[in-house]
Amino acid sequence: MKKRVVALVMACVVAFSMTGCGSSTSQAKGSETKEAAGAASSELVDGKFAETKHITVEVYDRGNDGGSDPTNNIYTEYIKKGMLEDHNVEVEFVEVPRWTETEEINNLLASGGAPDVCITYSYPTIQTYANMGGVLDLKPLVDQYGSELKNLNSWLGDTNIYWDLNDETGKLWAIEGKRANSRRILTFMRKDWLDQLGLKEPTNREEFYTAICAFRDNADKLLGKDADKMVPFSISYDVGWRAALLIESMMDPAITDKEFYINGFDDRKLTQNGTKEAMRLLNKWYNENLLWKDFALYTAGDSTEDDMMKAGYVGAFQHNWDYPFRNGEDSIQANLKRIVGEDAKYVAVDCFENSEGKNLKYVDSTAGDRKIFFPSTNDEPLASLLYLDWISEPEHIKYLQIGDEGVTHNVLDDGAIEVVAAQGDAIMNSGNNIDYTITCNGLNLADDDLTLLSMSHSYQPSDPDDVQQAIDYAAADNKVAKNVKVPEIIAENGMGEALASKRDIAYDTALVAKPEEFDKVWDDAITDYLNAGGQAIMDERKSAFEGKYGDSTSVE
Amino acid sequence: MIAAAKRLVTRGKSEGSDAKTAEWKVYLKRYWQLYVLLFLPMVYLLIFKYEPMKYVLIAFKKYSIVQNVWEMPWAGNNGMEYFIQAFHNRDFLNALKNTICLNLLDLIIGFPVPIIFALIINELRFKKFKKTIQTIAYMPHFLSWVIIYGLAIQLFTPSTGLINMVITNLGGQAVPFLNDPHKWVGTYIFLGIWQSFGWNSIIYLAAIAGISPELYEAASVDGAGRLRQMWHITLPGIKSTIVVLLIMALGNIIGSAFDRPFALQNNLVMQNAEVISTFVYKNGIKGLQFSLTTAVGLFQSVVGVIFLLTANWLSRKLGERGLF
Repeated sequence: MKKRVVALVMACVVAFSMTGCGSSTSQAKGSETKEAAGAASSELVDGKFAETKHITVEVYDRGNDGGSDPTNNIYTEYIKKGMLEDHNVEVEFVEVPRWTETEEINNLLASGGAPDVCITYSYPTIQTYANMGGVLDLKPLVDQYGSELKNLNSWLGDTNIYWDLNDETGKLWAIEGKRANSRRILTFMRKDWLDQLGLKEPTNREEFYTAICAFRDNADKLLGKDADKMVPFSISYDVGWRAALLIESMMDPAITDKEFYINGFDDRKLTQNGTKEAMRLLNKWYNENLLWKDFALYTAGDSTEDDMMKAGYVGAFQHNWDYPFRNGEDSIQANLKRIVGEDAKYVAVDCFENSEGKNLKYVDSTAGDRKIFFPSTNDEPLASLLYLDWISEPEHIKYLQIGDEGVTHNVLDDGAIEVVAAQGDAIMNSGNNIDYTITCNGLNLADDDLTLLSMSHSYQPSDPDDVQQAIDYAAADNKVAKNVKVPEIIAENGMGEALASKRDIAYDTALVAKPEEFDKVWDDAITDYLNAGGQAIMDERKSAFEGKYGDSTSVE
Repeated sequence: MIAAAKRLVTRGKSEGSDAKTAEWKVYLKRYWQLYVLLFLPMVYLLIFKYEPMKYVLIAFKKYSIVQNVWEMPWAGNNGMEYFIQAFHNRDFLNALKNTICLNLLDLIIGFPVPIIFALIINELRFKKFKKTIQTIAYMPHFLSWVIIYGLAIQLFTPSTGLINMVITNLGGQAVPFLNDPHKWVGTYIFLGIWQSFGWNSIIYLAAIAGISPELYEAASVDGAGRLRQMWHITLPGIKSTIVVLLIMALGNIIGSAFDRPFALQNNLVMQNAEVISTFVYKNGIKGLQFSLTTAVGLFQSVVGVIFLLTANWLSRKLGERGLF
């Protein structure tokens, strides 16, 4: 009997020691292989490894209805085959849910199982990982292997590769993917409603207001028995984004780089100088029943608002410049046509003028979009860099974006490429497969003229003329963001989520406040935001800016 | 003489322990199968409940995503840095306040409901009717909070919710059940009770079933009506069950489930809806402040244990059995 008890105890001990040691052994392995990687360049013959390498790459799972498997479709096969042939590297895709990507990557990093090539939109998140020792410094790698990375260098250029380089520490934690297209956000309106009411497309804020008031007042005529579902101007819980053009139009156009940067941690412009007045106007509109009453009850990733647009209840909204055209047959535009009628459609309008009378749009530079980083568990930094290089090759980008002729695109008479709805494995889960072309966001067909010509044809079945109108408006009067090269702002560490949540609370509560209480609600919410860490960030940004640029308020 | 006595005592002891070991051996030989059965659940508890406890140390250390918990450096202020930070964090204090308020309301309003329901069900005569009612009352327990929120949206939203449409069609003003901070608390409590009262009444019904029918017969012979019987026989009969459940509920007063508040909250009601668990999720898991939020979680557990022990001690003092 005693023996049995001892055996049991032993079994427990063994089980325990195994679980306990798991993490430490994997750490040790990580550091060994990192050193080994230094000698790897000599392994490369004609860009190929002598021995097959294996890397894992993050890919978003967008959970589209009827989409293809994001880790296994004709595009992943194309990449896998190409990487194996060109570099003798096996690629494995790891899916990460698009709407909870940060949490997922946190967990993967903490468990040592993060993909070798990770992407995220948030640099502070990468900085936080880096401070914990979770990210590889890319500077020595890019320096050492630069000659092997011709496509990457020519596509991204020093601007995007070294955008996040810290001048003081010399560390480079991430490479910025390139925005091939800087178009950002636009206003869309129901063209058929404007026509029915005898209104023309608005060209300034006043006309826009008149139009949405007309939508509200003529709900019976426009929607019949569904008149009570009318939403003249739809805004979601993410007010700072979904009213961005209105908010930015209230900003002082003469704002200095310094002021813009100091208030720039929040990309929804919460503390910029015109936001309060913009919100006062929106609050007025809300209380005049021009906005969607239930907006705050639906959170990120909820499709209720899209469904309302598809069903034809929404008069106007602001969103990504190509939003109503995205997703082919399932796009808002296509659904609207099916459900409401042939004439029903959204068109882009450009009508939020600033104090100078210009419809200025603040757009990002080629950087500032997706950031690529290698976690410290990456055993194959060279193979991973070669992956980035391969994915930046113009022909590869082109194939991934438009697929095979006759399957996902047709060539029109004028040479323009028209993207058509695909079936099964050929379905692109993201527009132009941006989830695979991680160094490139936006259509890029290696030839600028062809790209521009094709862009309006890449949103079948939407009318190319409507898309062209959006393309033109979105590119008009752009103001490009500048890169402020200052050291790490310590106060930003880990504050992204908490402050984003505070920001949304501020926007949402101010929007629904009674007009006479607006000032109090807004000021309280801003105070709360500042006290929760917003002020500390602004103070540190201010001193960092002054440390780098002295008395100048400009970065030039 | 004393030495002799001592020797006697020790001999007695060793004889006793010998006898005991022998008894154990016989016992184990006879029942070893039961211990084998117990083995798996024990291993489960050890691996998934006890082994992870070492990570409590994260509350006292500077968290790093790549180091294991032993290698992480200690936090400042003798490891108490994150506790101090938590209690200077207004959001945490607000979450703590909300947690306690919502749980107290749950306790005061929600705790008696299953007891009353069990008493009513017990008085029902028609078996089929009783069974139907019980089944309907249990059902919400099996719905996840995400689904319940979906239902709540269909019912309570200001412009498209069913209830509000009825109210506005009758000429009233839409009630912001979900987007006014105060009304939200009411909705939160109501939905919580609706979801769980049927399920929670099962244990009371079982206790009621255990009361000897002779007591009821004797009472009715003495002329006691139904209400009197309920008051003097049924309620005292399930008193100890009530006390045990009350103790457990008190142990949870500062604890918080995650899915209920998380599914129901929105930006407009956050001042009342942010509780500790959602605070931890937002700041810890999404915001990468693992040390701070582990400290918060540890604090929550310690206070919970204190509540539990106090309630238990109190109930024993008052002559009830208590949990242990």
